[in-house]
Amino acid sequence: MRQRIKAAKRRARAVFRPRAAKMASNPTNTTTTTITNPGPPEAESEIDEEFVTESITYPRFMIPNLFTGPSPVVDVLETHTSNLQQETVKVCLPFLSAEDEKTKYNIHGVPNLYRKSHITFLRRSIGPMPAGFITADASRPWFLYWALTGLSIMGDDVSDLRQAVVDTARSMQNESGGFGGGGGQRSHLATTYAVVLSLAMVGGEEAFEVIDRRALWKWLSRLKQPDGGFQVCVGGEEDIRGAYTASVVITLLNLPLDLTQESPAYEADGSMNLLSGVPDYVRRCQTYEGGISGQPDSEAHGAYAFCALACLALLDDPRRIIPKYLDLPRLISWLSSRQYAPEAGFSGRTNKLVDGCYSHWVGGCFPLIEACLRPLDDSPPPAGDDATTPNPPRKPRLPPASESLFNREGLIRYILCCCQDQSRRGGLRDKPGKMSDSYHTCYVLSGLSSAQHQWDLTAPAPTLAAGAGDPVWTVLPYVDDGGVQVYEQEDLVRPIHPVYAIPQRSQEGMREYFLGKEGF
Amino acid sequence: MPLQGKAAQKPKTPSTDASPSNPLPATAPTAQPAPAITVAERTQQRTDESRPFEAVRRKSGLAALPDEDRAAWYACHFARSLPAKRTRLPPKFQRELWRAVNDAGLPLRPLPRTYSWGIDRSGQDVGRYPTPRFDERFAKRTRLTELVLQSKAFRERRDRLRSGSAEAGDIITDSDIQEERLRRSEMAKLKSELYGVVPEGGFATDPEWDDVLPLPVEEPEGALATISYPAEYATAISYLRAVMANKEYSARSLRLTETIIDMNPAHYTVWLYRASILLAMALPIPAELAWLNAVALEHLKNYQIWHHRHLLIDQHHPTLASDPAAAAALAASERDFLAQILAHDTKNYHVWSYRSYLVAKLNLFADPAELRAVDVLIDDDVRNNSAWSHRFFLVFSDPAASTPGAHATEHDPAVPQATVDREVAYAQEKIALAPQNQSPWNYLRGVLVKGGRELASVEGFAEGFVTGLEGKSGGKEDVRSTHALDLLAEIYAEKGDRERADLCLRRLGEKWDRIRVGYWEWRRKCLEV
Ligand SMILES: [Zn+2]
Repeated sequence: MRQRIKAAKRRARAVFRPRAAKMASNPTNTTTTTITNPGPPEAESEIDEEFVTESITYPRFMIPNLFTGPSPVVDVLETHTSNLQQETVKVCLPFLSAEDEKTKYNIHGVPNLYRKSHITFLRRSIGPMPAGFITADASRPWFLYWALTGLSIMGDDVSDLRQAVVDTARSMQNESGGFGGGGGQRSHLATTYAVVLSLAMVGGEEAFEVIDRRALWKWLSRLKQPDGGFQVCVGGEEDIRGAYTASVVITLLNLPLDLTQESPAYEADGSMNLLSGVPDYVRRCQTYEGGISGQPDSEAHGAYAFCALACLALLDDPRRIIPKYLDLPRLISWLSSRQYAPEAGFSGRTNKLVDGCYSHWVGGCFPLIEACLRPLDDSPPPAGDDATTPNPPRKPRLPPASESLFNREGLIRYILCCCQDQSRRGGLRDKPGKMSDSYHTCYVLSGLSSAQHQWDLTAPAPTLAAGAGDPVWTVLPYVDDGGVQVYEQEDLVRPIHPVYAIPQRSQEGMREYFLGKEGF
Repeated sequence: MPLQGKAAQKPKTPSTDASPSNPLPATAPTAQPAPAITVAERTQQRTDESRPFEAVRRKSGLAALPDEDRAAWYACHFARSLPAKRTRLPPKFQRELWRAVNDAGLPLRPLPRTYSWGIDRSGQDVGRYPTPRFDERFAKRTRLTELVLQSKAFRERRDRLRSGSAEAGDIITDSDIQEERLRRSEMAKLKSELYGVVPEGGFATDPEWDDVLPLPVEEPEGALATISYPAEYATAISYLRAVMANKEYSARSLRLTETIIDMNPAHYTVWLYRASILLAMALPIPAELAWLNAVALEHLKNYQIWHHRHLLIDQHHPTLASDPAAAAALAASERDFLAQILAHDTKNYHVWSYRSYLVAKLNLFADPAELRAVDVLIDDDVRNNSAWSHRFFLVFSDPAASTPGAHATEHDPAVPQATVDREVAYAQEKIALAPQNQSPWNYLRGVLVKGGRELASVEGFAEGFVTGLEGKSGGKEDVRSTHALDLLAEIYAEKGDRERADLCLRRLGEKWDRIRVGYWEWRRKCLEV
């Protein structure tokens, strides 16, 4: 801890040296530029860096100056927002510049993924928690989901947790359908999503059979609203998380789409079902900035962008449905604006700070975006025969991206340099100076996975009975033709499904099981 | 063994002082024993006093006692064994025996040789207590017994009243309840002091909760992510489960929700239950709003509070329909409160979401105070994007000046052109303060699209932030806003000038916004379509 503070101070002075600033705005070849070394520690402690005009420069690590100096356009006017932004840059730079002497870096100035300590951290996170955690009482299922997802991404086998997950899940289920935060709590879509996905990850018939699908279906009917959205719990708020989590549960468990008569959205003529109007609801959440808000008329926010895109991708081929319901160019512009230099991580909103968890919420949008920019013709989806088949696109087709739409190298640098708790505590975090927690550990790792992989959509194989009609997601590690791979091969993590946010195998296992079931 | 030493002095006492006028010398010794230090010591003293010859007998045998004392000892010992032997003695002999026993003045039933005073709540042997402390403890136990009996009487009386089998004089007044409440808190305090029984958050001590059987949460063995709940929380939750199961909507269940919210405001279930209680009991909404203000200020990050507020306004709103003054007062007080809460975090997402709900519900779109409130925040920090978003909502979602359901990124012909002019000017004025601030640029572009204006209508304005792009106009290239360059690329593309558009995008990727180079390259490809 002391070491880190020292390093941060040192860098802060180095950053504002005229020389460093000049280098940062110098558009030289970004892959080979070296950083300025702050010089011998003795000299540094004596001299105010502001007045140092010369410094020894030698190549130590290959770090593009994009990540080691201030951005070339900075306003003079100071406000609360810009002060926080400057502070964040100051805190991140020493980490991005590989200045900690205790840390082992590779030639690119990037440390390893501390896989072992993160695994220990996540395994501990689902053990007993002290009394100080009572505010987590309503989100215990999330602890399961975050740990299992994070562990799966790191390749840690979670099957030893099956029985405990099954027992815990059972204790959270309500007779009236769905899962709550714990015994005696009402069912909530967020906790139901977390439990269902946790059961999918441990897998196996016993786990799948915990779920009372009939009761769940009835409960979901009660949550369905006439405008297409879902309340998150009976009497609770309606938002886009509700739409996404409900759609995941419905498709994964192969629930019938009919509504019960108790549903607020029930129509006697049968014109409404569980998924009717969902895309329209999602569309209403797009804002003038191009991003997506939690509910119509609010501010665009990264977490909701992922919910919106993943939700649409569950309802139809993303190459069709996303451009049909969303203003894709504005959305891409907004998503791309979330990545800042020099920090290189994503922020959640315009003029907010970078935060590791948006590596998933924003970073996780790009596989879906990149996939839906690739032409349908290459791999035609099954001929649509339903009424929802879209009209020919009104707007000109957007070209596929020839290179990555977001800066993968930058995101990987932010994650490995800034988001890892390097102490024995382990785990990943929002940014340097924040405590690691299981939420950030899960979603930062998920973002790392998105940055290291490339997803593609193909038509389903004709022999595949399960999920016939679904486009099939395929994945390969991402290779940057023109660039370099800044992380070590041993730090390549596992891919996770771009829509369900769990390993693809887990998603397929659960979906196949329930597709094979007749009725409840 | 100091005890034995002291006891050894005893035998003289009964033998010398034994006289008809002083028949119980052993229990009224003339010689002062050393003051007892602990309870056990005092007990030992008394034991010894009840066995005056014991020490000598143990040490040296009965033969060491004087004849008189030995005879007395025999007499007592024999008398004690009589009930067990069931021997019938001749009356004369019996008389003689009892006289000898009386004369000796020895206690017929000596205290047991060992006595345990038990263990207290901290595991300490009570026998080791100093006597004053022990006496205090004894007094507490007596008091507790007294209270338990009184409380039992109260409960029985109340049960008779409840079951309709009241006897004469069975009434319970408010002051009786108050008394019982005090009694129980005293009992809880005493139990805690005496036996370490943890008070149960007031429920066990509150006569109001007597009829509720709490339902504790039981975790299955080996459950994951369990929390070791503090006893108070666990008890409160077990009572919550019980009253929820009974669908009880009462003053006490309302108070219970408050207790739990105070400990864990993220407990969504308790908020929903609280809302049902309020509705079922038709409690006054303004009072609840006032209570909620304090809770919100205490738990700034919590968002259940905001949904609860939303439900309250939904409930309250119909009563305001016929009373515009009351509606205006509500709007004003809500605005004051929002200003207060936003002062802590000007970008609190849930607060802003609630605010847009409130505007729509109370139709505050055209309320100048609302626009002014947002202006204040933008003036305070021109980079507050939440405030910009709210302004866009106020201006372009006003049902009186927009098409219902119009998409956010599409032209809406219902928006008056004067509004578009005003908003374009507003955004431009704010951009001038800090040109690299993306919020007003996004706003400006949004306004132009809503108003159906060509982006080129701000071409000159945007060009003001970019000079000498790649040597053009001979000067040095300078970009004061990457957002201007981005917009210019669109403007040139709109006008069919692909080359200039491409240049803007290329320079963004090469120099001015390198982190997004992949995006700018894709935008260049879009120009080819
Ligand atoms: Zn975060």
